[in-house]
Amino acid sequence: MAPALSVTTDPELDWHGESVTIAEVLGALNRSRRQFAQVEAGDEEHPHPRNCVMTLVTVVPDANEEKRAIKTVTDISRHHPCLAIVVRDQPQIRAGRIDSTVSAHPMQGPLDTPASCELVTLHVHGAAGSHLAALVDPLLVSGVPTYLWWPSTPPFGTGELTDALRICDALVVDSARFDRPYHSFLGLAELAERSHRKLGLADLQWERLLPWREAAAQFFAPSERRGLIQSISEIGIDYSGEGRGNRIAAALMVSWFSTALGWKLEHAAGGGGGVVAALFKADGWRPVQVAFRSMQRGQLAQGEISALRIMGTAGGKSFSLSVQRDPQRMRPPRAGEFQRLHPTGGEDEAAMEIAQRRAARHREVVSQNLESLHHTSTGEAPGESMPQQPTVMVRERRRADTSDVMLTMIDLGDGDTLRHVQRVPPLDESTMLLNVLSAGARDLVYTRSLAAAAELMQKL
Amino acid sequence: MSTATQQNPLAEGLHDYRVADPSIMVIFGATGDLSSKKLLPALYNLAKQRLLPPGFAVVGAAIDDLSDEAFRKRASDAITEHSRTQPIDSTVLQAFLQASFYVKVDFSKLEDFKGLQRKLDELDRARHTAGNRVYYCATPPPTYETIIEQLKAASLTAGDGYHRIVVEKPFGSDAKSALELNRILQRVFHEDSIFRIDHYLGKETVQNIMAFRFANSIFEPVWNANLIDSVQITAAEEIGVELRGGYYDKAGALRDIVQNHALQLLALLAMEPPVSFDANAVRDEKVKVLRAVRPIEDGEVAHATVRGQYAKGWVLGEKVVGYREEKNVAPGSLTETFAALRLFVDNWRWAGVPFYIRVGKRMPKRATEIRIQFKRPPHLTFGREAAQALEPNAITLRIQPEEGISLKFGAKVPSAGVKLRSVTMDFEYATSFLVETPEAYERLLLDCMIGDPTLFIRADVVEASWKLIDPIEAAWRDGRPQLQMYDSGTWGPAAAAKLLEADGREWHRP
Repeated sequence: MAPALSVTTDPELDWHGESVTIAEVLGALNRSRRQFAQVEAGDEEHPHPRNCVMTLVTVVPDANEEKRAIKTVTDISRHHPCLAIVVRDQPQIRAGRIDSTVSAHPMQGPLDTPASCELVTLHVHGAAGSHLAALVDPLLVSGVPTYLWWPSTPPFGTGELTDALRICDALVVDSARFDRPYHSFLGLAELAERSHRKLGLADLQWERLLPWREAAAQFFAPSERRGLIQSISEIGIDYSGEGRGNRIAAALMVSWFSTALGWKLEHAAGGGGGVVAALFKADGWRPVQVAFRSMQRGQLAQGEISALRIMGTAGGKSFSLSVQRDPQRMRPPRAGEFQRLHPTGGEDEAAMEIAQRRAARHREVVSQNLESLHHTSTGEAPGESMPQQPTVMVRERRRADTSDVMLTMIDLGDGDTLRHVQRVPPLDESTMLLNVLSAGARDLVYTRSLAAAAELMQKL
Repeated sequence: MSTATQQNPLAEGLHDYRVADPSIMVIFGATGDLSSKKLLPALYNLAKQRLLPPGFAVVGAAIDDLSDEAFRKRASDAITEHSRTQPIDSTVLQAFLQASFYVKVDFSKLEDFKGLQRKLDELDRARHTAGNRVYYCATPPPTYETIIEQLKAASLTAGDGYHRIVVEKPFGSDAKSALELNRILQRVFHEDSIFRIDHYLGKETVQNIMAFRFANSIFEPVWNANLIDSVQITAAEEIGVELRGGYYDKAGALRDIVQNHALQLLALLAMEPPVSFDANAVRDEKVKVLRAVRPIEDGEVAHATVRGQYAKGWVLGEKVVGYREEKNVAPGSLTETFAALRLFVDNWRWAGVPFYIRVGKRMPKRATEIRIQFKRPPHLTFGREAAQALEPNAITLRIQPEEGISLKFGAKVPSAGVKLRSVTMDFEYATSFLVETPEAYERLLLDCMIGDPTLFIRADVVEASWKLIDPIEAAWRDGRPQLQMYDSGTWGPAAAAKLLEADGREWHRP
């Protein structure tokens, strides 16, 4: 009988070596595979086959990121038996050498079927790290896709990244974690434009937008509402944080609308207080106004979207979709003047109204000066309104106590406002990475939205 | 073309996202077992996956006198106990319960259905559901006709929006009753709005049969009588009749499993490639192949079929009683708990290939699988002695448990000489995807709300399958062949083995 196997997230190392060659690492990996097959099969006639659905190569800059990456790939391997290679690139250490560890440990699936998770770490000192393909290519599993996950900021526009992309089918990044988000995001868009057609490109930031995109698509799903798409006149997005680096998610969201619905960007400008106004033309003539505004939400990471509003008028009736993240965490309603002035009803509307009034003032100013607005008029770079929290993206994005609820409110101009509460899907790194890998890290909707978002960002 | 008739451009790229229009699902028999154990938990899990549209509502309809709150309490308890995902997400559950309502309906009273209509109209206005209705009959089949007639009489099948009805198997007990049921359903609903649910077809692995056959180019060229020797379909359960004795004693294995599950597997395995995954394209091919199955004629039934009933024995290390000692089973019952058949598909692709079907209760283990056995090579290049341990090639599609696919082929045993042995190449879904597969009811309820009947059974498919079963049932009623007893925990009566031995074959042990 095969020995009982259980999930382990802290595998014992099968092998570790210092100042080793890649040939030695490969030898250790092969020995580890043979051992797994024999142990797993036990006394049965045939060793059980080793399942492997991909090679996941992760490049990290330091020990903390390495620890984090190992945890994530271990989580991933519970769902996708794989070979995970974590490369810690340390070019600053001049003496070139490679230290490595190899482990292969069984993971238990839902049907008690064991699968092997192979983990190779490479600590690369010196210049060898700039030649990732040469390091990793001999270790890759034949016949399964290779994904390159770069959890920090890839060196866009360098030969190092070009070399690394030679051996992979898709690159996975998180544009919410870029060190210089604005410039790196443009680098990402340029890479998408220049890279060969077969290279997949996935962005965990895009995955975070999934519930928002679903909510919007769901609103227009009924056939009798499909025509409302052609009557959208305004889109509003609230985001957390300030500064242009924090507007990437909002820009991607709007660009998703514009590319899906064929809107053309006419003007865009950023103003004080994190406000952005943009004007799109739909069907060549119909104006669609877009506004972003910065709303501090303690429970959300910088850059995350906290609300989406879509408004329009069709057949003499106005319609609106409002989607809010964690609405119960919004500022408590203030009784009195604002509510009296704006009696929209709903327990969370007062705070919305305050914000809307403030944003409307900004938007009005921005719109009036759309043509002439120049960054010198504010004394700041467009949209760079001295962020109160200069750290654009924190590493741990979410507060642990967040409730992850989304409230959708639908108003179709007749009858009551329909309220719908949904749970936001898990947005931890492992789950999002798993989702993009399951889909093959190829999403043409993303790449076209990325290009349009870069265009929008550059105009701000 | 107007935008309203076009695809939703915002849905592009949302991979697993299937959007239903807002609707109201009315569950007749909402206080019963099916509703508690399957339907309400499945709807809750759809809500959890954000697959229920804003405005969706459930209306329970049954004879019990309950308030909305009392129904919500029952629903909450049922979901908490039976949901496949645990722990229960209280936010999702509360939101779901707020969209759940109850109306007392005595199926014999038109006034109750009119009350139901008033409630649905009210919900339509409040929830923007546009008159879309799904009527789910979670009730015994004899109630279907009354419910359908009352729905019509109360004008619940007219007006704006779509009106769909879902009925559970069995769809009749023979060809005549199936035809009658279809007539009753079609008198009020269009065939496209009738969803005959067999949860078996909602299982991922059953759907994967089509993916295996039609998403790969290497299998179809060998999928015919030129290379395939025979096909075995096994649906074995280790359990007995449990609490279903009353129903099962009237139905038996042939009606309970062969007429639907087993013949559906046969159809998926043997059908021609549909031109698309469109509902009617798939079901057209299924009905064509079922019509090509040669009915077993009266004089052949005794030779081409085996029927058995389990006696006491040992299963999974436990002593179990015989069928006739089960609760609600007649002491002298002649109902079969095991059935084995030999069928032929009379078309170009399958001419002369026997399809052996074996279903049974109280077998050694639960296993549903299809084994496609290939012919031996025309010439033994390595000689008879070297190939002694070599079995013919075989592909096994395992439906449950341990869903997967195995390919058996010959390989040389490492040694100085030449000796061949069969080895197996295994693929297991669990180790390649390791993701939780959705419950069949979740998939099917969503399909119904979306209006996709691909995985539901069309009227002509039901009729075609009963036409194959009826002659067998008739001969069995006459005692041809005789009912064979088999010990619980075995693979059925000896006659089942003889059925294949007579053809020079043997059953594969799952």
